[in-house]
Amino acid sequence: MTAPLLAVENLRVTFALPDDPHTAIRAVDGVSFDLAAGQSLAIVGETGSGKTTLARALLGLHPAGAVAGNIRLDGRELTALDEQGWRPIRWRRIALAVQNAGTAFDPVQRAGDQIAEPLREHLGLSGSDAWARALDLAGEMGLGERHLRSYPHQLSGGEKQRLMLAMALSCAPDILIVDEPTSGQDMLTRAKMLALLDRVRQDTGISLLLISHDLAAVARLADRVAVLYAGKLAEVGPARDVLQRPRHPYTWGLLNAYPNMSTARDLRGVRGGLPDPAHPPAGCRFHPRCTQAVDECRRVDPPLQPVRDRLVACHLGGLQTLLRVDRIAKTFSLNGNGFRVEAVRDASLDVLEGEVVAVIGETGSGKTTLGRLVAGMLDPESGAIAFREQDVSDLSGAALKSVRRQVQLIPQDPFDTVSPRLTVAEIVREPLDVQRIGAPADRVAAVREALAAVGLPDGDSFLTRRPHELSGGQLQRVVIARALVLEPKLIVADEPVSMLDASEQAKLINLLKDIQNERGMGLLLISHDVALVRKVADRIVVMRDGAIVESGPASRVVTRPQHAYTRALLGAAPSFDWFEDPGPASGA
Amino acid sequence: MKSRFALTLLSLWAVLTLNFLLPRWLPGDPLAALLDPDSSSYVYNAEVRGALEAYYGLDRPLGEQYAGYLTGALSGDLGRSIRLNQPVTDLLREHLPWTLLLTLSALIAASLLGVIAGSEAAWRRRSPVDRALVVVSVVASNAPVFFTGMILLILFGVELRWLPLAGGRTPFARYDNTLAQVRDYGAHLLLPALTLTLALVGSKFLLVRNSVIGVLGEDFMLVARAKGLPPRRLKRNHALRNAIVPFVHHLAAHAAFAITGALFIETLFQYPGMGRLIFESVVARDYPVIQGVFLVVSVLVLGANLLADWLTARLDPRTQEN
Repeated sequence: MTAPLLAVENLRVTFALPDDPHTAIRAVDGVSFDLAAGQSLAIVGETGSGKTTLARALLGLHPAGAVAGNIRLDGRELTALDEQGWRPIRWRRIALAVQNAGTAFDPVQRAGDQIAEPLREHLGLSGSDAWARALDLAGEMGLGERHLRSYPHQLSGGEKQRLMLAMALSCAPDILIVDEPTSGQDMLTRAKMLALLDRVRQDTGISLLLISHDLAAVARLADRVAVLYAGKLAEVGPARDVLQRPRHPYTWGLLNAYPNMSTARDLRGVRGGLPDPAHPPAGCRFHPRCTQAVDECRRVDPPLQPVRDRLVACHLGGLQTLLRVDRIAKTFSLNGNGFRVEAVRDASLDVLEGEVVAVIGETGSGKTTLGRLVAGMLDPESGAIAFREQDVSDLSGAALKSVRRQVQLIPQDPFDTVSPRLTVAEIVREPLDVQRIGAPADRVAAVREALAAVGLPDGDSFLTRRPHELSGGQLQRVVIARALVLEPKLIVADEPVSMLDASEQAKLINLLKDIQNERGMGLLLISHDVALVRKVADRIVVMRDGAIVESGPASRVVTRPQHAYTRALLGAAPSFDWFEDPGPASGA
Repeated sequence: MKSRFALTLLSLWAVLTLNFLLPRWLPGDPLAALLDPDSSSYVYNAEVRGALEAYYGLDRPLGEQYAGYLTGALSGDLGRSIRLNQPVTDLLREHLPWTLLLTLSALIAASLLGVIAGSEAAWRRRSPVDRALVVVSVVASNAPVFFTGMILLILFGVELRWLPLAGGRTPFARYDNTLAQVRDYGAHLLLPALTLTLALVGSKFLLVRNSVIGVLGEDFMLVARAKGLPPRRLKRNHALRNAIVPFVHHLAAHAAFAITGALFIETLFQYPGMGRLIFESVVARDYPVIQGVFLVVSVLVLGANLLADWLTARLDPRTQEN
């Protein structure tokens, strides 16, 4: 393999706060990546993650002394260059299309002159030759002489954006850095911009470094994706894989927060906010927001290391597979007559950290049995169930007890599962008593916390109520609180809302999702209600007669069902579409 | 631009009208304002005063007086000086060129200095050079002109004897050629112009420096740098080119200050400009002259602003719209 066009190694950009010169802010902290000729790499991350700082470092635009590490272009070290040394690199080799094209042009000079300017400077063209070349470039962007003769304020935002691109491409650079090419644009302008960038890439074979938080733009333009979090890379890999199967919890969170047309699921932000750049947290920078953080994450900064097809900076190797069900089967014999019912046949599924996997199917399809097998209330006859990569059947004693504690079942009918004689406090505290967790006073505190988490009052008057004094919705919340009190990593919810009216259903399903977003855990949601499930599920597993007939990303299963049974289920799902569409209301 | 021109005409009319009304608003009749009872020229005889009133047209209706005043002012008749018994226009014609010579040369020198030093200081923001320039400019622009003028006078005129002490030219001198004349005028001009330059340069320096610093923080400056342009081009074609627009406006507003600043300096250096004319007229309560000077200064400021607007429209394409 030949040396990459651009090799960035352990790049660090440090600023001193203007009003406090002793506090150093490390906006980019040890970033390494390669960019091959003709390749396109996207750097994604939230606002403030250091993306723009990184882009500017590649052009030597930071004050002297701010940048450390290596930037090599064709093997030549650039970080040691002074302002004069950088000049032939800038625009001629690496050009930058800045984020806000509206302010990228000098307001008192004609746009065309500003495009021609670097041509005269770098290529030594005469004024008229440079203008002619600028006209060519503008033509490629669908603009003409009139636009070149205009002053920036006379141009629209989209025109400026395209002229910015023309300006960046003027000296035919090897690398084009595009900083947020789509931010603040309406969808049609954005689509045109992306098509233009795509065409430029194909026509010129330029290497593209795309700085963006627009994940859909990234998916369209980038070969590879590097996810930047608080100045450090969290995950680097092929764009398709990273965006479809994120491994780092941060990438996963970003994708869940990104609005797109591929799913009906609700949006979830990544909990918490970016750390204070002057005082980043110890250990992994993402750990305060990470739902699966362990002790090591708080102490040791994880290096970016290979995990299968990509690089991930995570002590746990990225999102954990909480549950792996591998070809399990369970049969029941019907009393007397020797018939056996295959309740679950050859079922396999995974649940990752933070994921909602929905199992749908009609009554008698084996969903509930599957849930009970996972929750450990039944043992499979064949196959294996692994929790956090540990086969449950291998475990015994304390280890097994710990797994049981971490997997909790929310049953279908709450009235079936709570003793009518117990008070709310006793119901929620019961698992703690049984598992002998904490001192009695701690248990009461834990009960109150769990009740608060599910949105129930935690006062004494409520704690002493008994099940018959509660509404169905309240009791179901009590049952969820009972599951939460053990701080489980996986919740198996068997028709958790089917007994409730639509409004209560909506509240409870959102509550479950909120709790998951805050605490981080896997959710295996067993339901017959496709319409409900698609609002929360990341993946859907369809069961029929004990077998899994189809599984996949929720969006795919809902929009392009493969199996006839799935189509039947979707066709029967509640919908208001049978009201005839009256078309747009005509004006009176 | 058209509307700016109309506005200037309107302002001019307002100035003329104010000039007409002010003496008539003063307590007593305009003649009492003209002739101070304390002054030696006060006319005690009521009959003579009445004749004077008739002579000056003060017994006619106000509208008629106003019309007469306007036609007079527009045709260059600003009345007569009571002290010198000369037409005010003649006095202005004699003194104004001296003041213009002084203020214009000082304004040009201060502008050049301010722009060059200001943009360099901004470019080297927070460097020792920048800090030193800021301190010097603040001190220079706040020191009273008579103080700096006195020091310069003592140093170059008294101690070193390099330059003449007073006046606009050597009295009774006859020049063999133009060069000798220019040299003599220049030698007399140097100290007052230097004093005025020092008074003016500070605010110009600070303004240019701050404008350039503002421009340097703009995105387009970052882009210009990213384009690999040489520093000279960054400074001149982009940074200064943008920062010059507020400077032009400042310059127009400063025209009035330059003239009043010149007043003290002209007195100090016995320079034969408007400053001395004003000073002596005020002492003698020579109202027609004071009014004439007021009118001329107003017209100059209005003209400067109009010029600045025209220049801005040239310099900043954004202002050409509407």
